[in-house]
Amino acid sequence: MKILKQPKEILKKVIAKAKSKLKIKKAPKVAKTLKRQVAPDVLDFKETEIANTKFSHGENFCFTRSLPQELPFAYGQDKIILQVRDPRWLHSYWELKDATLSGLKSSLGDDFYRARRVLRVYDVTSITFNGTNAHSFFDIQINDFANSWYIDTAGPGRSWCVDLGLMLPDGRFIMILRSNVVHTPLDGPSTITDEEWMIPDEMFARLYGMGFGLGRSSAVGRAWQERVKQGVFSSGLSSSPVKKEVQERNFWLKVDCELIVYGATQPDAKVTVQGVPINLRPDGTFTLRYYLPDGKQIIPVKAVSADKLEERTITPIVTRETK
Amino acid sequence: MTKGYLCLVLHGHLPFVRHPEHENFLEEDWLYEAITETYVPLISVFEGLVQDGIDFRLTMTLSPTLISMLSDALLQERYLKHINKLIELTEKEIERTKWQPDFKNLALMYFERFRHARDTFEKYNRNLVYAFKKFQDLGKLEIITCGATHGFFPLMDVCRDSVRAQVKVAADHYENTFGRRARGIWLPECGYCPGHDEILKEAGIRYFFTDSHGLLHGTPRPKYGVFAPVYCKGSGVAAFGRDLESSKQVWSSIEGYPGDYNYREFYRDVGFDLEFDYIKPYIHPDGVRINTGIKYYRITGTSNHKEPYVADWARQRCAEHAGNFMFNRQKQADYLFNLMGKAPIIVSPYDAELFGHWWYEGPLWLDFLFRKVACDQNEIRMITPSEYLEENPRNQVITPSFSSWGYKGYSEMWLQGTNDWIYRHLHAASTRMSALVKDHPGAQGILRRALNQALRELLLAQSSDWGFILGTGTHTSYAIRRTKDHLLRFNRIYEDINSRNIDELWLSDIESKDNLFPNIDYQVHQ
Repeated sequence: MKILKQPKEILKKVIAKAKSKLKIKKAPKVAKTLKRQVAPDVLDFKETEIANTKFSHGENFCFTRSLPQELPFAYGQDKIILQVRDPRWLHSYWELKDATLSGLKSSLGDDFYRARRVLRVYDVTSITFNGTNAHSFFDIQINDFANSWYIDTAGPGRSWCVDLGLMLPDGRFIMILRSNVVHTPLDGPSTITDEEWMIPDEMFARLYGMGFGLGRSSAVGRAWQERVKQGVFSSGLSSSPVKKEVQERNFWLKVDCELIVYGATQPDAKVTVQGVPINLRPDGTFTLRYYLPDGKQIIPVKAVSADKLEERTITPIVTRETK
Repeated sequence: MTKGYLCLVLHGHLPFVRHPEHENFLEEDWLYEAITETYVPLISVFEGLVQDGIDFRLTMTLSPTLISMLSDALLQERYLKHINKLIELTEKEIERTKWQPDFKNLALMYFERFRHARDTFEKYNRNLVYAFKKFQDLGKLEIITCGATHGFFPLMDVCRDSVRAQVKVAADHYENTFGRRARGIWLPECGYCPGHDEILKEAGIRYFFTDSHGLLHGTPRPKYGVFAPVYCKGSGVAAFGRDLESSKQVWSSIEGYPGDYNYREFYRDVGFDLEFDYIKPYIHPDGVRINTGIKYYRITGTSNHKEPYVADWARQRCAEHAGNFMFNRQKQADYLFNLMGKAPIIVSPYDAELFGHWWYEGPLWLDFLFRKVACDQNEIRMITPSEYLEENPRNQVITPSFSSWGYKGYSEMWLQGTNDWIYRHLHAASTRMSALVKDHPGAQGILRRALNQALRELLLAQSSDWGFILGTGTHTSYAIRRTKDHLLRFNRIYEDINSRNIDELWLSDIESKDNLFPNIDYQVHQ
């Protein structure tokens, strides 16, 4: 998939970053460790030092306080958030205060430890949800340590709400947190038409297919799936929308030749190489560098003294032959 | 007669990357490359068209972060240093390739090109925003705004205060920059959620764009598909839908023009190809090879074997491709005109950097296209969304569908295993920002500075670019660092304000680093 590709450019940039971090001894922790890591609120002295090295190159400034390098694990609140990923999938994350959990422990006693943690997903399409009037619901059993979950609703064009709760052994559900309500989009055209802007089905089908760039006769039902297959999504700043990198076997060898012609004369002399004047360094030396193609190169180097009374010519002849 | 309208949209955006604390910073090259390869060439195309009296219309986003970087004195200074080094390298290349005429011609081409970039940059007083403004004031270009830092709005839906801040900061920044209110907006990543149009309306914005399915899956059915805008139910803000047929022709990796074998190969750059000691002064100081922008080969074919680029052949193909694009639009417009009984608008949005940076010949293709459309036919007419709405004020009212132009069309690119961890932090910061605004109305002095900086840090953390890079799953350290740095700075300010203990020295330091939006008002976050 092209979107996952990284062009060399970015790769190199990132390597460069990684390298520059190596220089300061220790790279900051990366993605893998991020997910469920507890951030130290108390600063580790070493990390502080590293932070300062990274952000105060040279003489710029020095600030008296430094930031922690990791984000807090939690924000001390009871909260569950629901977001829409696509017409079918939702994402939920949550956070529970310790006090909330201990409250449950004391009120439920042993039942707390026998309970399973559950996400209860309600279909609340077109209603004001009061906890009991959902069209339907389903439960997802989760583990006690999870703090986020992807939920497959299989229900485009509907509204959803989620409770995080406990399922007791006797089948009772204890709600702990209730999420916001979200709406999944349709994954096809609406069935509702506008009387004022009525359109025959067949004509809409044509316009629908054309909107997805599928020509004039594609079936409405398949057009969206076709469009997803075709790609043509924005690829952001980091990858080429234009072209995939060539996939071949990776082993390769490249050899090229360059020729360095160098020398020295009196600093005020005039020098030409193959008849073309060149500039001397202040000390009278010069260096020229050429790509050397196959064949014979005759390279007359001529120096004329400043008073034009003397001249010298030296002519290297170089032959390259690549087999 | 006019059978259809063509609305070309280029989306110009780069995340805010500015590191005064480092002498060299690789990610700053994104800006320098874009200036040389995309923005200057586009400006040159506009100049040529105006000079030749060719009427044209183009709609273009300049994201607030891009404008901020183009206007920043430090980055301007660094760009000059960057382009001067490139010019020096091309001078050496002209010498080095003396016995290879094919390559010497190309070295000369880059030498001219880089010098032209420097001249153009200097001509507009090092601030290319003035150049774009000039063509807007001439009525050729319609510049639209974007989210302040390109935050992906659908994943901020649970904190609409942040959506509002993204929109209002952007709209005010636009007004400060261009001397008038923004009429249109490019929603970052084309990400639209029903209801966000209300926020656009509050900011005085009259239209935005969605991907095709944003309109096609709207309710009720859009009578004209994506070929006429709709008004959002409730707000009355207009939504224009993307046409995929025209997108594909330019953009598709399979059938798109940029893959033509005569066009320049992106992946062969002298930064990687040339001998190490020679190229060392022009790559990263650590010795890591990077793209310089000097690329000598054409795509040639599907194998790794590449032949030297021939500018004339590429130019010829460009003219043909522009003609082909126009012909296809004429056909498309003609068909749609008969089907719809009125002139369709074909909206073709692209990332601006496609033109020039990725597709070297892109700006030339645009030039040919503008000229052909203006001179060779009269069936299609180029138009901006504002002009279209003025001429066609009556449009259907629907609720467009949640959508984006990212991978699979919704939020998945920014919400998957590699990046979903950021939202609990971003949302917590949004909630805290709203609380700060509520607790400190009309703040003055250092408290105001701290509140304003808190909002800057929050906005910077929200850039969809970080989530996008994390979503690609590889080489993510910079994106992780940026997400964390801004959130950590935000949290520190939040704690300082709540403990009534603002560290002015530290605040001044981060104000000088994250220095965008000088006139920001934290109170928009509510």
